[in-house]
Amino acid sequence: MSNWPLRAGSVLVTLSILLLWQAVTASGLVAPVFLPSPSSTFANLWRGLIRGDLLGLTLSTMERMIYGWMLASLGGILLGALIGLSPRARYWLTPTLELLRPLPASTLLPVGIALFGLHPSMLLGIIAFGAVWPVLLPTIHGFSAIDPRLREVARNLGIGPFSFAIKFGLPNALPDVIAGMRLSLTACLIITVVGEMITAQQGLGATIMMAARSFRSTDLYAGIILLGVVGAINNALLGIIERALTPWRTAHA
Amino acid sequence: MNAPLAPAVAACAGPAIAFDGVRLDLGGKCIIDGLSLTIAPGEFACVVGPSGCGKTTLLRLVTGLLSPTLGQVRRFGAPVDGPSRDVAIVFQDYGRALLPWRTASGNVALALEAMNTPRGERVERVAGLLDKVGLTGHGDKYPAQLSGGMQQRVQIARCLAQGPRVLLMDEPFGALDALTRQALQDEIAKLISESGATALFVTHDLDEAIYLGDRVFALQGNPGRLAEVIDVDLQRPRDQLRTREHPEFLRLRHVLFDHVQKTH
Repeated sequence: MSNWPLRAGSVLVTLSILLLWQAVTASGLVAPVFLPSPSSTFANLWRGLIRGDLLGLTLSTMERMIYGWMLASLGGILLGALIGLSPRARYWLTPTLELLRPLPASTLLPVGIALFGLHPSMLLGIIAFGAVWPVLLPTIHGFSAIDPRLREVARNLGIGPFSFAIKFGLPNALPDVIAGMRLSLTACLIITVVGEMITAQQGLGATIMMAARSFRSTDLYAGIILLGVVGAINNALLGIIERALTPWRTAHA
Repeated sequence: MNAPLAPAVAACAGPAIAFDGVRLDLGGKCIIDGLSLTIAPGEFACVVGPSGCGKTTLLRLVTGLLSPTLGQVRRFGAPVDGPSRDVAIVFQDYGRALLPWRTASGNVALALEAMNTPRGERVERVAGLLDKVGLTGHGDKYPAQLSGGMQQRVQIARCLAQGPRVLLMDEPFGALDALTRQALQDEIAKLISESGATALFVTHDLDEAIYLGDRVFALQGNPGRLAEVIDVDLQRPRDQLRTREHPEFLRLRHVLFDHVQKTH
């Protein structure tokens, strides 16, 4: 299947947006201090990556994001499997979870700072808290919504609860779990950056905040573009992993 | 009883399956009432009847997924107290009974894993079972890549992997096209006679019941109870053309048909 016209189209759209941006800045409609030209933004981005500390800052943000994401995924999958497989756990935990779920992670940051101080692992905990929901809810669904016929097959074969969780629950939940992990990674990036902004820990978030406060608009936009690129790469990588882990979903006769 | 006993199980005394005055209430409704029947080891028994007469419930009572409200169900003399690997069941909806995330081989291997067959033996056993059901070379395909008939063959292979003494089938060919159905009828008859297992086969197709069965149990509904038992005295192996044109086949078909008309 050839989809190069579609690809070419997507490149064209991106280029025209950049051109529009360039045209707006060249026309002088907006002061460069609010909206720098794309050429100077990219030049600055390049300089920052090659000579400055932008690369290090990006890596430290990504590290925090990935640790938070792994924590959220692990917690979400374990808790989700427990709730999905055990009706009792569902009854006991659901009310608490429904109370916690709507809380924006950023509002917990002041609480976290007050309780644990500005410790890096406090921020990780907050990131994991905010990003656990997109994993937890689909995992619960994936583990609980196993076809009754398959449950019957398992019972007839005398398959124990642990084997059932591994051989029936996990693969049944896997597509939902991976989709949730993709959403979760995006949530992680957002919470990481906001967390860095609020707690002023080293990373892109704090850098963007500082750049904005000191009217270094090219730095600000360079940081934002970098975040966008990080997010897009994350999503593409996870798409590949998803196809590798769930081959039966793409298998056709 | 004219059941041809397979040598492997002929020595086993007493019936393979016995219903003794079984009544089953579900949700305040009487589903089955006063059902008594016995099936000999190695016998191929078919169950027909109108929908809602408790055919599927009958199978669930044999597996032990349901327990009778009154009376007793016994397998090889022992009261049924839950599912056993001696009893395998082939469901009609093969699409839902197979694990979509496992290949054909993986689905068959599931039964061996459940029985703790050593890993080294599994590959060979699975390949042998797939050969047996005519799926040589299809082991690496996922259920979504197989036709309905092939998926049902995978399910049958998984059931045979259990090495069952009793094979229960719940309208297994009901969703298949006519040609595939006939091919699978002949294959299941052969597999059952080779394995010596006792078969309990539920269908709504009267011809299928006579074609496959040593005996046909006709149920009637509301509540489900035994209406008639017909002995099928037709030579084996049976043949899709000759058996179906045999005067005895036609006579039995009349008897059964009249009966179903009467009780409907």
